[in-house]
Amino acid sequence: MFFLRYLEREISIHPSFFGANIQDVLKQQLYADMEGSCNGEYYIVCIMDIYNISAGKVVPGTGSAFFTILYRAILWKPFKGEAIDCVVDSCKPQGVFCYAGPLSVFVSKMHLPHGYKYNPDATPVNYSGPDGDTIERGTAVRVQILGLRSDVTNLFAIGKMSAGWFGIAPV
Amino acid sequence: MASILASNFDDEESDTEFNPGVPQGSDDGGSDNEVSNEMDNRAPPANKIKTKTPAELANGSRSKSRSPLAAQLDEDEDENGEDQDNGEDDEGEGEDLGDDDEEDEEEDDEDDEDAVTGRPRKRRRRLNQFIEEEAEVDEDDDDIEAEDDDIAETGFIQDTHPDDDLGPEADQDDRGHRELDRQRQMEASMDAELAAQRLKERYGRRTTQGLSQSTLVPQNLLMPSVDDPGIWNVKCRPGKEKDVLAHLMRKIQDRINARRPLKICSAFERGGGSMAGFIFVEAKRKADVDEALQGIEHVFKSNYELVPVKEMPDLLRVTKSKPLKIGGHARVKRGLYAGDLGVIEDVVDNGLDVVLRLLPRLTYGLDEDDSKPPVAAEKRKRAAFAPPPTPLNRPPPRLFNENEAKKKHGRFLQANRGLSSRSWTYKNETFEDGFLIKSFRKTQLETENVNAKLEEIMRLTKTEADGSEAVDLEAIVKEINEGTAEGTYVPGDEIEVFQGEQKGIVGRVEGVSGGILRIKVSEGELAGQVVDQPVKGVRKRFREGDHVKVVGTSKYNGEVGMVIRIKDDKITVLTDTSMQEITVFSKDLREAAEAGGSDIKQNMLDVQDLVQINQTECGIVIKADREAVRVLDENSSIITRLPSQLQKLEVRRNAVATDRNGAEIRVGDTIRESGGENKSGKILHINRGHVFVHDRSRLENSGLWTTRCMNVVTVASKANVNAGPDLTKLNPALRGQNGASAMGPPAPLRVGRDRLTGQHVHIRKGMYKGHKGLVKDTTDTTARIELQSKNKVINVPKHDLAVLDQNTGKPIEYAQFASSRGGPFPIRSSVGGSGRPDGFAGGRTPAVADGGRTPAWGGSSSRTPAWSSGDSGKTPAWKPNSGSQTSYGGAGGMTSYGGAGNYGTSGSRTPAWSSSSKTPFGAGDGYGSGGSGYDAFAAGSRTPYGAGASSRTPAWGGMNGGATAQTPAARAFDAPTPAVSAPTPGGFGDNDGYTPYGASAPTPGAGFGAADAPTPGFAKGANKEELKYNRLNAPTPGATTAATPYAGGYDAPTPAAGAPRYADDDDDE
Repeated sequence: MFFLRYLEREISIHPSFFGANIQDVLKQQLYADMEGSCNGEYYIVCIMDIYNISAGKVVPGTGSAFFTILYRAILWKPFKGEAIDCVVDSCKPQGVFCYAGPLSVFVSKMHLPHGYKYNPDATPVNYSGPDGDTIERGTAVRVQILGLRSDVTNLFAIGKMSAGWFGIAPV
Repeated sequence: MASILASNFDDEESDTEFNPGVPQGSDDGGSDNEVSNEMDNRAPPANKIKTKTPAELANGSRSKSRSPLAAQLDEDEDENGEDQDNGEDDEGEGEDLGDDDEEDEEEDDEDDEDAVTGRPRKRRRRLNQFIEEEAEVDEDDDDIEAEDDDIAETGFIQDTHPDDDLGPEADQDDRGHRELDRQRQMEASMDAELAAQRLKERYGRRTTQGLSQSTLVPQNLLMPSVDDPGIWNVKCRPGKEKDVLAHLMRKIQDRINARRPLKICSAFERGGGSMAGFIFVEAKRKADVDEALQGIEHVFKSNYELVPVKEMPDLLRVTKSKPLKIGGHARVKRGLYAGDLGVIEDVVDNGLDVVLRLLPRLTYGLDEDDSKPPVAAEKRKRAAFAPPPTPLNRPPPRLFNENEAKKKHGRFLQANRGLSSRSWTYKNETFEDGFLIKSFRKTQLETENVNAKLEEIMRLTKTEADGSEAVDLEAIVKEINEGTAEGTYVPGDEIEVFQGEQKGIVGRVEGVSGGILRIKVSEGELAGQVVDQPVKGVRKRFREGDHVKVVGTSKYNGEVGMVIRIKDDKITVLTDTSMQEITVFSKDLREAAEAGGSDIKQNMLDVQDLVQINQTECGIVIKADREAVRVLDENSSIITRLPSQLQKLEVRRNAVATDRNGAEIRVGDTIRESGGENKSGKILHINRGHVFVHDRSRLENSGLWTTRCMNVVTVASKANVNAGPDLTKLNPALRGQNGASAMGPPAPLRVGRDRLTGQHVHIRKGMYKGHKGLVKDTTDTTARIELQSKNKVINVPKHDLAVLDQNTGKPIEYAQFASSRGGPFPIRSSVGGSGRPDGFAGGRTPAVADGGRTPAWGGSSSRTPAWSSGDSGKTPAWKPNSGSQTSYGGAGGMTSYGGAGNYGTSGSRTPAWSSSSKTPFGAGDGYGSGGSGYDAFAAGSRTPYGAGASSRTPAWGGMNGGATAQTPAARAFDAPTPAVSAPTPGGFGDNDGYTPYGASAPTPGAGFGAADAPTPGFAKGANKEELKYNRLNAPTPGATTAATPYAGGYDAPTPAAGAPRYADDDDDE
């Protein structure tokens, strides 16, 4: 699910950047740091705007300065139970790995739609269903998120396609 | 509880009570009932006993006729008399004689009973003749005689009967027979109730005495009191309790009829556990116990204590041992199969022997030494030289393989016919379907809390002929649930009840005690309430997607993963680390608090560790279990080893190798396999030409693979990434200008010989701190130093050195030395005492001055002359100093160099000279007169160059400060990147410098437009006094040189750079 959220970030800047355009530097730094990042809970998709940059404070001893930047960003936070569209990345004997944007989702073999079988000999390797559909690398699928695991800088999900309306996404 | 029945509770009573209250008839092979009753009152009066043979006693039967031994005796006695087959001719005298005693006694006894039986004594004489004929008697007489005694007696006599043929004596026999039969009949016809009543009447007395089984008696009245016999606990050798009791039992029996029977009431033991090593003896007096235990082995009679009355009932509390069920599981406690799980195939009736189905651990003789003759082997075995198999060196459990067995041990192998073709006997053990079928004592088995693991159970599962595996999962689950220790639940666990009254409730565990869970219900009607529930019937509850950790006894202990599927008790988990699906029981799971990988740390080896497999091979751990570690070796094959067989290798972070293209690869680089599968990944280890690589996207082997270094191509190297912000990229101020030049000069390029070489130095740090030495050679960072004190050459980081001034012997920090670029030094030295003059060299200015400034300077006219003195031109002036300059001059930029070179002072300048712009410089010299600083100034000023300005500042500083300042000055010059190098002087100097510059190129500018004077003027105005000087200097040049230098502004730097030397030179002094 997407959110618009007010966030803040502290950035420290090397003294050599102190100058008239320090604001630009800060902004650039912020964009570089935050856009596309994940804090283990959500992904920051895009920074909408920056609405405040605090006065800088020089850190004793280093000469660099700290700025607190308040900004607004669009986040994506996947939830358990959420249905998302993904693209299959790889098919393995254990199941299918797909990506929903930055999020890697694993769908166990047992959670594929009913009747899907693994074909290791096909190229590309795929899972084929009773009606001739195949799930292979590049296939668009709709997945329900079963669980999420967060690392420090990333998220990982497991999902299932076995319920109704899930599986290969209609084109 | 094993207990001995000691019959005599009361000595007084024993005679009457235990006297054989048996009717005559019963003597003759009385009915079963009676016999069994007799067994109960097995203690006959003492006086009687002495005449009886032990054998009779043992039989517990009083009828000598029934005792084979007695019968035999009888026969012996009869030898003389006519022997008749059936012994029906019983009137042998000997027999009478022999019987006399007995019968007398019996008669005494029988007096009591006569009322019941009311039979004439005479008949009894024949008693023992009936014995053998019971069968015959049985045949004939049936219901007819059942009526009553009289009829029987009379009627039978008249009857024709096969026995009638026997003659007169037989008559009597016959009567006897009939007597017997009648009795039996009667008994048989009496209904059970009556019989019971009769028995009760007969023996009732005993049972009513406090030991009554009557349910009417309240329990507490049955509790022992102080009046009852006491119980003594007697220590014995642990494990021998039963032996002791058996011995005691025999002793009692032996003495039961003796003059002084043992006077103990009972003895028992309470099995193993906390009561091991004790037997308990019940008796009235301690002396009785003493006597009873006299001479019994394994008893420690030293001290025994009376069990307090209160504790007596506890002693006899019955703990039901769970009956072993066929199909259940047990674990072997000791021996070769210690710890192995077995399926109970059969429980022998006595409940003590259990037949288990196990996975055999056999070597099939492969471990035997072929070279030894078999006999020796046998001997060795017999002599027990072969160490007993321990859990460490025993063979692994595998199904029995008859082919293996045939290889070396064909002679021990034999197929069992009949049951199935898959049954074998090998070395006296039976193998069926590959499993070992072996009998164990129950004590050798662990039957409670077996904790069977799913894997073990699966291995023990028989594979049916059709290939299906008959696992009774339900049974397993049940068993496991029953065995669930409460320890598997901790407060906070979410559980559900699937059994019992509370079935269906879901809640969280609040507390556990004694197998009872206190559950706070979270769903349904009872939500919020706390209910108690036995551990049994409860299971943990998880939902798909939960992040869980495997705890408990599963072999996956420690794995962390996400729940994928839940089926009753069995939960499938996708592990985080290896992306594998594992199925475990819910009781073995717990919610994982922490994210991240598995924390299997039991064996200190972790996945991705580099390990030494043997002398020549290394590998990387791809899976670390508690017992086994799977390792991917250098040949990409997978081997399994015990953790103890592997040695972990330290990671060498700085290991370097070259890839296929000869490029350097290091740990952490991303590489790609060239050819093959084009695998890629990040290097984890480099070891002896092999790289061990991790690729997240690969599943097999935990994403690890290995290959030779020569088979990979580097994709991204992190080797050159250095720490710290990349200022060139980030700093916008720098970005605008063109790359390097904006950055200032590249790090001073060392050309030629390191100036440090040949210097006398003082070591300031490290082991050799305080030593002095001579620099023999250098690299970028270190210097080889020949110590003065020892004949030794050592390597020392350059920055740990202080260079000793050749003249003064004053130590100068290396950094300073290096940055001074030789300027200061040389100059000093060269200048020697006449530094000033040198500064004077300012004279050059004059030279420069051509422009006439010099004159302008007028004041400084002297210089010119000074110079000129040397030569006509300034240049010449210089020249004298060092011819080299010229040459250097070419180098121009080299400044540094020049500096180095000439120490000679002038070398450096030369370049300066070369550039016309510097000339102005000369002007500076004029100043020089003012002090050494001037020069520096001058230099700075020439640099006019804005940038220079900043640098100069320092120079000024120098002036002010006198000698000290030079250095900075030097630096300033050296490092065009004023910003950077300048720092020190920085502060104000910079500002000053800049301002002018930035503004309108003040100094120079001024100088320019205006006369020479202006500049100074300006300077004055702008700066403090000290500065003035500088300013002055600067301007001059500016003015002189005219625009050139200035214009050069930016270009100028070089000269400026050159200039510094000058400054340095002067300053030094």
